[in-house]
Amino acid sequence: MTPARREIETLLLTSFAAVPLYATNAVGLLPLVAFHAVMAGIIARVAMGKSPELIPAPVMRTIAVLYIGFYIVDAAFISRNAIAASTHLVLFIATYQPIESARTRNYAQRLLTTALIFVASIATSTHITVLLFVIVFAFLMFRQLMYVSHIETVAALGHEYAEPPSSRAATFYLAGTACIAAVLFPVVPRVRNPMMQGIGGSLTNASTGLSDTIDFNHERSSTPDPSVVARVWISADAAPFFTPIRLRGAIYDRFSRNQWLQSAGRFHELRSRDGVFRIARPVGLQRVITVQQHLLTNTRVYLPTGAYAVSGLPTLFEGPQNEALTTMPLRRSTDMVTLDVSVARDIEPLRSVEPHVVNYPRNDEVTAMARQIVGTSSDPLEQAEKIEQYLSTKFRYVADPAAIGHPMTVDRFLLHDHVGHCEYFAAGMVALLSSLDVPARIAGGFYGGRFNPLTGYFVIRREDAHAWVEVWNGTRWTTFDPTPATLRPGMDQTGLLRAYVSALGESVTYYWDRYVLTYGLGDQVAMAANAITAVRDAMRSVKLRMSDQLTQLKSPGTIVFILLIVAGGALAVAIAGRRHPVFDLLASHLRRFGINVGPAMTMEEALAELRANHPYDARELEPLIAMYEAERFSAHADPRRRKTIRKRLAELRA
Amino acid sequence: MNAPPFAFDGVVRLTKVGTSYVLFTVVIGFAALNTGNNALYIGLTFLLGCLLLSGIASKGGLKHLRVEFSAIGQPWVGRPAHGMLRLHNDSRIWNVRDVVICGGELDPVLVPIVARRSTIEVPVTLHFDHRGIVTVNRLDFYTRYPFGFFLKKRRIRIHGEVIVYPRLLEGERDRRRMEATAEGEIATNRIGAGGEVHSFREYVRGDSLRHVAWKKSASLGRWIIKQTEAEASKSVHVVLDPYKPRGVNDEAFEEIVSAAATYIYYSMQRGLEVVLSLPRVSLHSKAEDATPLFRALALIEPAHEPFAIPYERNAVVFSVGRHDDARTA
Repeated sequence: MTPARREIETLLLTSFAAVPLYATNAVGLLPLVAFHAVMAGIIARVAMGKSPELIPAPVMRTIAVLYIGFYIVDAAFISRNAIAASTHLVLFIATYQPIESARTRNYAQRLLTTALIFVASIATSTHITVLLFVIVFAFLMFRQLMYVSHIETVAALGHEYAEPPSSRAATFYLAGTACIAAVLFPVVPRVRNPMMQGIGGSLTNASTGLSDTIDFNHERSSTPDPSVVARVWISADAAPFFTPIRLRGAIYDRFSRNQWLQSAGRFHELRSRDGVFRIARPVGLQRVITVQQHLLTNTRVYLPTGAYAVSGLPTLFEGPQNEALTTMPLRRSTDMVTLDVSVARDIEPLRSVEPHVVNYPRNDEVTAMARQIVGTSSDPLEQAEKIEQYLSTKFRYVADPAAIGHPMTVDRFLLHDHVGHCEYFAAGMVALLSSLDVPARIAGGFYGGRFNPLTGYFVIRREDAHAWVEVWNGTRWTTFDPTPATLRPGMDQTGLLRAYVSALGESVTYYWDRYVLTYGLGDQVAMAANAITAVRDAMRSVKLRMSDQLTQLKSPGTIVFILLIVAGGALAVAIAGRRHPVFDLLASHLRRFGINVGPAMTMEEALAELRANHPYDARELEPLIAMYEAERFSAHADPRRRKTIRKRLAELRA
Repeated sequence: MNAPPFAFDGVVRLTKVGTSYVLFTVVIGFAALNTGNNALYIGLTFLLGCLLLSGIASKGGLKHLRVEFSAIGQPWVGRPAHGMLRLHNDSRIWNVRDVVICGGELDPVLVPIVARRSTIEVPVTLHFDHRGIVTVNRLDFYTRYPFGFFLKKRRIRIHGEVIVYPRLLEGERDRRRMEATAEGEIATNRIGAGGEVHSFREYVRGDSLRHVAWKKSASLGRWIIKQTEAEASKSVHVVLDPYKPRGVNDEAFEEIVSAAATYIYYSMQRGLEVVLSLPRVSLHSKAEDATPLFRALALIEPAHEPFAIPYERNAVVFSVGRHDDARTA
């Protein structure tokens, strides 16, 4: 790797660190594009063999001084956000440092800035793809760190730049780091500062299929959005009664200027008993289902129709619209709650209510149409059933509101076009029932969902947004849905393979959401409790086994056997301690030939003397002295060499 | 001791990069704890993992290194001696990179890589300050690998002894002094191929008739063989008197040992045979190899009592305490 290539790699790494910022709301698009444009310019210059000074360094220094004042202006007036202003500042520093590097060796500082940018990127990301960014970034960062480590070492010795460590080493260390991180992640304590708000995720800026009003003055549109709204676990015995799922979150019970609106309601906190909020009175079959839900716009809670009690929320409020349930903003990084919801086939209000007929303007033609549909029926539910049947069979459904091609009133839908999407079907049914003085309203939420066979839950997505009708039967609201059943959200058929791939992807996302994004102190406490239980069980099991084995060990034969082993070991140690060093043995042997090997004499010299006087004996001793010297000057002792010398000397003496 | 600029006492030191990294990790940890943001926790655990692995890798790599001198060239005081270090990396996991070895008489040397379970030989240069037996008993290994957060050190004990030859006098004046002694070349006084008659002896079977002393044989009435003396110009006799009287400092003694070594060194370069006389022993150079002579000069210690060293008239005597009719260098 040449220094130019390494420089390009550093610049690419810095640019790469800012890429996830495009998917978040941390900074605006303009600063990011400007940053990447400048970095691309610097990279191009370096690639052409020029200096990285895209902007002359003195000019850049002046800009840097001016930026100090601009930072305050940015934080106070432009971004109005200290985090965004700080991110802008770091991006600016990241462009300044390569230009300055022509004069100053600032590798380490540049890597630090790059790391800061990357932290800003991942801190505001909640999607699983951030993991991929982390891995790629870590790999490139490891290469850079190894390079810095290398040049620091060679520079200290006055050497020139040499070959840095390879990608293979970076991969090796990346794998090791990932393994350690995976072990550390669940155990790093999640004791958080109660005074600090969490950093919001990226989902809040996404569009939703639900709107606060149903405005027919303009052409309606809907963009398919596969973002997950909720996951719903329903036991097998409950599924036949509570599917397809309807998560209800909005009630449009007022009409004004061709818009369907939600009536403003009182905003009051519901009281819980043992963490359970009771919101209705159950009628008929009851079950508990679990709902994991992303809080979409603000903090509104979407509950299945038939829900009469809910737990898993710290607080629950009714309002600001009638029958709309909301909770407090979450103080963690994700917008996810998991609720246990008690549902019943039917529910009644906890308090008596006086429903009113929607103020939809009377129209003789619509009234005539309604009367024609219901015939002689006078029961509100019977009338609703007939209208539902009529609309779902006589009217044509289009999934995409844009296909209608023009704004359309409800009257025109009913009397002229006979084509629309779920909002028109629901609004048309409410209009017809209103003309018959039957209290009815539009309910908004999500419908259907797809069952994930890998994880056993239903997935509700934003594109499953739907509108249906609730009719007052005198005591409670009853659900009707005039949209043709086979054309409702989630009813489209996909191939088996596609369904399984989708389910697999969804499962991965679920585990990411559950065990990474929402992992918290509660999970750690549960994990610790499980670990303590497992250790206790294991210790109990070991104790039982040991007590069995101790009973067996108490036999006299076993005790004698152990004592013999201990005595043998002690004897071996004593013998080893009495052994003379090899040098002494050789010196003793040489003394027999009249050679006194003193402290100032080496074995080599003694051998030379022996060679002069006793050449035959010298030839025999020569290999032993060579072996002794090999043993003496080797970094590692080899007991085999010593053993051989002792054995051979004993033979010579014999 | 030849030490690199980053040498230190102890086992581990945090580098500037490491300090920045630790501070950065603390900041991210603080942010993660404050916000409860699991994305930050992912970053934090990666940072901690990297830090931990860095420590394990550098320690694990150095821990499994073994080292020994595989060879050292002729070690002279004041001259770089070239040798080979054999490094074994016994680790099954860790490659060791960017290791700086230093310590004792060794010049710092950079080892780019010692792959796991492998052995390499590294050329090294040693510098010795005094003659005699020098024990090289430790080497210091430094590394910043892998990420440069820590400077790790491992001191490896080795058992190596080197006999360092005396300093060779390198100055031009000293050199001329040594060359001037060429005229002191003497007859060997040994039997060999030459023109001068050395002695006569009885004929034994196998003697060439060319060496028969005909006149002497005729007068004595039996076969007498004439023995010639070896060529005189091939040999010099050097005497080193180790006697160091009181008042003579060690430097003076070392100076004459160096002078003797220098004299022998240049004599050998000129192809002369050298005889070195020391108290109780005379050593002969053999086949252009003067190693025993230099070893003797390396190990000789000053004596505080005068010795009687027999030497011939033309011997070159190196002494700090004797001034007689012998020539001194």
